[in-house]
Amino acid sequence: MADFFSWVDKPLDTHAVLNMIIGAVVILAFILGVVTYSIYFQRKLIGWMQWRIGPNRVGPLGLLQTIADVLKLLIKEDVVPEKADRNIFLIAPILAFFPSFMVLAVIPFSANHVFTAYSNVGVLYYIALSAMTIIGVVLGGWASNNKYSLIGGMRSAAQMISYEVPLAMSILGVVLMAGSMNLVNIVEAQISFPYVWYIVPQFLGFCVFIISATAELSRTPFDLPEAESELVSGYNTEYSGFRFAFFYLAEYVYLFAMSGLGATLYFGGWSGPFLPGWIWFGIKVTCFIFFFFWLQATMPRIRTDQLLTFAWKVLIPLSIVNLVLTAVLKYLLH
Amino acid sequence: MFSGLVITGQTVAFFLIALFLIACGVMLLSMKKVIYMAISIGGVFIGAAAVYILLEADFLAFAQVLVYAGAITIMLLFAIMLTKHDELERPAVITAHPVWSVLGTAGLGLIVLWVVKFSGIKWPQATADSPFQGQDNVKMIGESLFSQYVIPFELVSVVLIVALVGAITLANKEEKN
Repeated sequence: MADFFSWVDKPLDTHAVLNMIIGAVVILAFILGVVTYSIYFQRKLIGWMQWRIGPNRVGPLGLLQTIADVLKLLIKEDVVPEKADRNIFLIAPILAFFPSFMVLAVIPFSANHVFTAYSNVGVLYYIALSAMTIIGVVLGGWASNNKYSLIGGMRSAAQMISYEVPLAMSILGVVLMAGSMNLVNIVEAQISFPYVWYIVPQFLGFCVFIISATAELSRTPFDLPEAESELVSGYNTEYSGFRFAFFYLAEYVYLFAMSGLGATLYFGGWSGPFLPGWIWFGIKVTCFIFFFFWLQATMPRIRTDQLLTFAWKVLIPLSIVNLVLTAVLKYLLH
Repeated sequence: MFSGLVITGQTVAFFLIALFLIACGVMLLSMKKVIYMAISIGGVFIGAAAVYILLEADFLAFAQVLVYAGAITIMLLFAIMLTKHDELERPAVITAHPVWSVLGTAGLGLIVLWVVKFSGIKWPQATADSPFQGQDNVKMIGESLFSQYVIPFELVSVVLIVALVGAITLANKEEKN
């Protein structure tokens, strides 16, 4: 477990530089694999739920389908619309992707993972950086110079900013219980004496968390930014080739990161009997991802006006009630 | 001047961040399109947050990213997009103004360099027995906010609430007209 500031005072030799580069490359390769197979998992799963077979042509059981799709995206022409603002159009996908990759730094994948930052502000780090993706999305929608893209980008920004508030407020309940914003310490607090995952004492907070997380990831029933039937897929309408792939990638990296965050905060992260930590973490994250896909196959999309009203009038008051209750109970039980 | 400079992670990161910050600042001043300026100011906010991290003020750094690089930059972008976004700055008339700015900047730079390097002031150095050395940043800030600075803290939150309610009232009035 690397301390957040351990690199600051040490001399920077080849060994340290190599460590950093290898760490980043390993995580990138890992996350690309995870994204590839969560897309496959999504298509297969929703296929089964809708009484279809899902992808089964490329490779055994269709296992190479996503790889073929990515390859297709990479060799496609990179089209930039003539009336678009060229520079912003080109950098927007990068701005959307890089925070999604950076948030993985604080998520503890296992009990002694070398690449996890032992940061005292882990929760704040996640929330702050994930807010920066919105800039990329809004700029991408605006720079396309297309009204559907612009509406998609604006909707996306309104939705993500509104739902970030209840998300952060529901996490505060956990932070209050553990007495730390450090994700590693939060897991350790759940393992220590009354061995109970925070899903039990923080059930109300968890409900708010999972709803806001679904909205934050723009997944059904909150997929208004890319409502295919009305907005022709929203902010990324004009994007093609690997720039589109970057937006898509950012979306699925967040799916994994948010699942990891949920598993860490409410289900004890890497803790669990018999099996090694990383397997437990994998199981919990897979359950979260399964839940998001299940919702997607089940729910219809809700209306824009209902969406924002729901965030401000239902979720935020609920998360404040949860926070106050947690504080009072913690004070009384001490 | 740089003799005896040990190459640590901090020095390398500092020079990269400083380069990024200055580049964003220069872009902010020299860009003609308003929306490019908004993006560069976002870069400046992120660079400042990175400097805070180097100073081991991690809470401040990520509060800065959340509030400035996230919220304020997006608000700027919204304001630009929803108004006249094709606004260009007019080409400047040639005057002696840039010459004076360069002279003034160079003078200020020399004064700062002299104060830091050659004036012989003893700057405080962090040692193992400095107060609060190696303590949890977040905890210390929280404790002082809710004990020593509790009244200013509450006053600031009241001001923010008033601003919020005021903004909603103003927006509501306009809608009715």
